[in-house]
Amino acid sequence: MWRGLWTLVARAARGPRRPCARQGSGARAPGSGATIFALSSGQGRCGIAVIRTSGPASGHALRSLTAPRELPRARSASLRLLTDPRSGEPLDRALVLWFPGPHSFTGEDCAEFHVHGGPAVVSGVLQALGRVPGLRPAEAGEFTRRAFAHGKLSLTEVEGLADLIHAETEAQRRQALRQLDGELGQLCRGWAETLTKALAHVEAYIDFGEDDNLEEGILEQADSQVRELEVALDTHLRDARRGQRLRSGAHVVVTGPPNAGKSSLVNLLSRKPVSIVSPEPGTTRDVLETPVDLAGFPALLSDTAGLREGQGPVEQEGVRRARERLEQADLILAVLDASDLASPSSCNFLDTVVTPAIARSPNGNSQRLLLVLNKSDLLPPGGPDLSPELPPHLLLSCLTGAGLDGLLEALRKELAAVCGDPSTGPPLLTRARHQHHLQACLDALGHYRRATDVALAAEALRVARGHLARLHGGGGAEEILDIIFRDFCVGK
Amino acid sequence: MFSLRGCGRWVAASLAKQHLPPARLSGDSAAPWTPHYDVVVVGGGHAGTEAAAAAARCGSRTLLLTHRVDTIGQMSCNPSFGGIGKGHLMREVDALDGLCSRICDQSGIHYKVLNRRKGPAVWGLRAQIDRKLYKQNMQKEILNTPLLTVQEGAVEDLILTEPEPEHTGKCRVSGVVLVDGSKVYADSVILTAGTFLRGMIVIGLEMHPAGRLGDQPSIGLAQTLEKLGFVVGRLKTGTPPRIAKESINFSILNKQTPDNPSIPFSFINETVWIKPEDQLPCYVTHTNPRVDEIILENLHLNSHIKETTKGPRYCPSIESKVLRFPNRIHQVWLEPEGIDSDLIYPQGLSVTLPAELQEKMITCIRGLEKAKMIQPGYGVQYDYLDPRQITPSLETHLVQRLFFAGQINGTTGYEEAAAQGVIAGINASLRVRRKPPFVVSRTEGYIGVLIDDLTTQGTNEPYRMFTSRAEFRLSLRPDNADSRLTFRGNSSLSLPIRFTLLSDLSHYILSCLLLGYKEAGCVSQQRYERASWMKSSLEEGISMLKSIEFSSSKWKKLIPEASISMGKVLSLRALDVLKYEEVDLELLAKAVPEPLKKYTQCRELAERLKIEATYETVLFYQQQEIKDIQRDEALQLPKDLDYLTLRDVSLSHEVREKLHFSRPQTIGAASRIPGVTPAAIVNLLRFVKTIQQRQAAMNELPKTDHCLCDTDRLEERQL
Repeated sequence: MWRGLWTLVARAARGPRRPCARQGSGARAPGSGATIFALSSGQGRCGIAVIRTSGPASGHALRSLTAPRELPRARSASLRLLTDPRSGEPLDRALVLWFPGPHSFTGEDCAEFHVHGGPAVVSGVLQALGRVPGLRPAEAGEFTRRAFAHGKLSLTEVEGLADLIHAETEAQRRQALRQLDGELGQLCRGWAETLTKALAHVEAYIDFGEDDNLEEGILEQADSQVRELEVALDTHLRDARRGQRLRSGAHVVVTGPPNAGKSSLVNLLSRKPVSIVSPEPGTTRDVLETPVDLAGFPALLSDTAGLREGQGPVEQEGVRRARERLEQADLILAVLDASDLASPSSCNFLDTVVTPAIARSPNGNSQRLLLVLNKSDLLPPGGPDLSPELPPHLLLSCLTGAGLDGLLEALRKELAAVCGDPSTGPPLLTRARHQHHLQACLDALGHYRRATDVALAAEALRVARGHLARLHGGGGAEEILDIIFRDFCVGK
Repeated sequence: MFSLRGCGRWVAASLAKQHLPPARLSGDSAAPWTPHYDVVVVGGGHAGTEAAAAAARCGSRTLLLTHRVDTIGQMSCNPSFGGIGKGHLMREVDALDGLCSRICDQSGIHYKVLNRRKGPAVWGLRAQIDRKLYKQNMQKEILNTPLLTVQEGAVEDLILTEPEPEHTGKCRVSGVVLVDGSKVYADSVILTAGTFLRGMIVIGLEMHPAGRLGDQPSIGLAQTLEKLGFVVGRLKTGTPPRIAKESINFSILNKQTPDNPSIPFSFINETVWIKPEDQLPCYVTHTNPRVDEIILENLHLNSHIKETTKGPRYCPSIESKVLRFPNRIHQVWLEPEGIDSDLIYPQGLSVTLPAELQEKMITCIRGLEKAKMIQPGYGVQYDYLDPRQITPSLETHLVQRLFFAGQINGTTGYEEAAAQGVIAGINASLRVRRKPPFVVSRTEGYIGVLIDDLTTQGTNEPYRMFTSRAEFRLSLRPDNADSRLTFRGNSSLSLPIRFTLLSDLSHYILSCLLLGYKEAGCVSQQRYERASWMKSSLEEGISMLKSIEFSSSKWKKLIPEASISMGKVLSLRALDVLKYEEVDLELLAKAVPEPLKKYTQCRELAERLKIEATYETVLFYQQQEIKDIQRDEALQLPKDLDYLTLRDVSLSHEVREKLHFSRPQTIGAASRIPGVTPAAIVNLLRFVKTIQQRQAAMNELPKTDHCLCDTDRLEERQL
């Protein structure tokens, strides 16, 4: 019985909104019978990246990428040339391993590809896997859940599973936010809107077409919307530029009230003058990003505007961007002026940013935060006279460099946790997911065009919308009814 | 049939019942001669009649209590049944041997299937119904149902006793108190109060208490429920004026004729009672800017529209249409109220203006220039109970053995009410016999979608069924409701196995050992056999169609009418050919008479095979998803969990509150409650598993172990 439970969790964890039931007409995906793949090595610097698959089509996937040869001997490494099954292009010379179920990590047929760690190779292999029929990118925590489902983990080992799923979902959400923050995000939102509206109109035509007088031509309108969407998706998928620059590494965001010394800290950590520093509050107005190596981990350090209200429009925009960036951070470096802790801006910052972030993660599984008290050199020499209610913190002086070693050590611990977890979203994987769902959406739109039965056509749109919902959220039946009742005068 | 009048009550019992005592004496706690029934149903509307009949079909001695026997089966609003989504519900009610479909086949005066061109999954069976005939036929059916007694009386209060310790709930209902102070004892009580709970009728600025025009509201009962701690909300609905038929100029209006042949609602009927040529037409007219003016100029005289009581997002009244979609013309259907009725029901003109303004508005509509208004339209405002307070078997969380069905749960429409009635009736009866509840999953039927939506999401507008609410719309079709539900209605074998309390578990083991599975038994033998025959014929037919395989060029020669493409696919199964829009089984059987000819002899079978072919590909994928969801729904949560104080499981306060209020019975239902996170679900699962292990360790009965293993296996097979 316990065995059955876990397909549910698998589905539940696909997102905060459930695919089944109301949400369900939207976000549907192949059930537990699907074969999943993911990059399972972390983001730290490494020469080898490990890509894993699990599920019945693993063997097929392995053969597809290694040319139609015999499967390698079970559980022993063999060297193979990986090629893209569609184009025949060589991808990499890699070690492959074949673990037939049930003697594998998940209990299902599994395959592992140990490829050279460069982004181009990893990306190429992920994309090639995404094109093998029956394969799809794994959802958060899905490998672990499958392992559990097949009795490969004990109940105690699963204690942390809920937390893990939560953390992975959160991490994926943050990663998706980053990806969607920009051109692609806007495109996705636009597509989802168009599709939802088209579906709502087809549904209205089905549910109200005859008794109530809907305007003429709503179906034709939906048809042309779908056709436009097909063109847009197709163009996007063919676009060789692939839209966005991938920003890899752990996202570390430095935040705090104005003039706490955030920019000084960024400059100190990156060992170059990235940001302009001045004694004047509100010097930094935009988000300044710099890729750095922090304690051995790749990180993207963002300096942000000091959080305060009511200044000029440019600074307010800076503050808005700062808050937005805060949402997306893997690790927050909260900086306060140690000599100025009683000021309203410091207190306000502690209440609105630090405390909620700490409260949100009782198990340390949500967003991580380090509280840094800067300007320790300004504290009276008789030892710091700090309030005992302050959350755990580190003392630092950007001016003298005192406390830097302690900070780097703390950073090393935090980043090891962030980067060691492959789900914190290698952008490559996120991109593979995007492509997979966009392609599936496009395929479903093709079914819509060919359907002669309106109920079948609507079903195709529901499936298509489900795939977009995976990228963008949403997808409930209520949303459809809202549009119907907004756009049409129906009801008895 | 005998009847007796006395003390302002009227009792009718069926012929079959004469052999049984009409009521058995209740136990020592009650005064002598106090009647005692298995199930008492309060209300004789569409939910009440279905509930009472279903309980009686299941073998429970049942009493139907209604204000007036002559209003049993009254269609208080529109003179029609069915429609898109609603027709689906009727077919499902029929598959469980409910009444409304069969009564409609005897009482309709204009049968028309909507959505004919949009695919069989969304066909909407619909008919104009003769109100008088419907009421007559329904009363005949109710008064002749074995084990069912009818009595007049208004229920004022509930009799409550100590709760059964093995179930949750703070008390147990054991009967009802009538207005005259007399008591009726019962093992289960079903409330189908419709719009009667603190009902208020509104016309213009006038408001007066009434459940329906001319009927008293139930105020005492509403107070009782509120005192018990039920969360009560308020909804509003309305009905249009009625117009004298002879005062309408039909000659200038568009006429709509019924279907020929008529499609019956019930699976067991081949035809309806009336020939198409004897049926009555409907007419359509439209509003105009003058109507808008009258409404907009007189909003200050229209308290129903001004009131804050929540109305639906859709447009139930002409006022809401004019306000939300100004400068448009709106359709008005002129529907006959009966074969010999001189009234016309103007569907689309629901209005609550003062009566004289209603008449003024009507007469500026084309065809109605000289119309005489016989009865004004009016609005109704009434109490409903937040449906998250009931389980999917429609029993309340708070009071054991108390069931709610129909508008009291926040729904609107006859069909929605009837659907809940059947389920409440079956479950009230099962509850009395200590059997597991009968729950229809949202993967099995629109009834399941309806009840799942209500119990997990609640509603703040009158809930109406739409096909867009069903995620498995292509599987839940009007044509296959019998295959989906009739077998379930007949037997409890396929019910998900539930061990929600330890006592349930031991009870289950006992019943397995001693009694075996007993039938839920709400379905007649005749219906069961018909559905079985149809199901096996379909299965046989589909495998036959799959087995016939020719090259596409041969098919092209055999059926030149079909636009078979000569593409890449070399060979095609007969089933694939049947998918073409222009191919039906008749045509296919002409091409391949052996062995297909025999499937064309039953028209329904031939049509259903065609439909199965149309959706075959998609159904294959839907079946996978349905299995996944059913697996979650087989995972029962203990009913007696106190989510607010539960300490061994990490849940946020918000999630606890939500779980506490809705009390989901399965993991599947819990995961559909808005705001319940995946992590919370995992924690719940882990918690449930841990207590199950603890219980298993405590009860190391060899039999228990054995049975648990069996269950595991059973479940796997079932899934």
